[in-house]
Amino acid sequence: MAASLPQLDVAKMQMVQDLEIEMMSDMYNRMTAACHKKCIPPKYKDAELVKGESVCLDRCVAKYLDIHERVGRKLTQMSLQDEEAVKKLQGEMPRV
Amino acid sequence: MTSEIVDAAKIEAEQIKSFRDFLFSYNKLSELCFVDCVWDFTSRTVRDQENNCAVNCAEKFLKANQRISQRFQEFQVISNENALAMAKKAG
Repeated sequence: MAASLPQLDVAKMQMVQDLEIEMMSDMYNRMTAACHKKCIPPKYKDAELVKGESVCLDRCVAKYLDIHERVGRKLTQMSLQDEEAVKKLQGEMPRV
Repeated sequence: MTSEIVDAAKIEAEQIKSFRDFLFSYNKLSELCFVDCVWDFTSRTVRDQENNCAVNCAEKFLKANQRISQRFQEFQVISNENALAMAKKAG
């Protein structure tokens, strides 16, 4: 992500890095909440994670990260397409 | 000397941030366990059953978080290794 950006000074790099860390921790918090909701039924007779809940959590984390990546790829692709369309439009503008 | 002061300020800011995170997760946990465990409002005292439920809820929440954190770390290690391998291939 940072590699694709043009040369930035140290302060800006730091800001970008901080933002990336913040986004990562936000993603992590959302994932925790989502997997808890999907895997732990709201009956607390016992404080131990049962086998099924543990397996569910493992798969939930894997799937969440997978989806996170897929959505990221889709967004990148869409924004690239958008940029190209805008460029095309701007190229056509003067002729009209 | 000045860099020491800056470092100290940074460490303090990090400590405050982690304390903040802790307080937020405490609030979230209270909300979750209250919503899941307390249904009866015919009395203002917490019943034994509600108390057991809330205590189990908190313990289970922490265990689930530990497990999620372990899996997440494993994925990060793998994705770092992949990124390194890709960089080696490209470089």
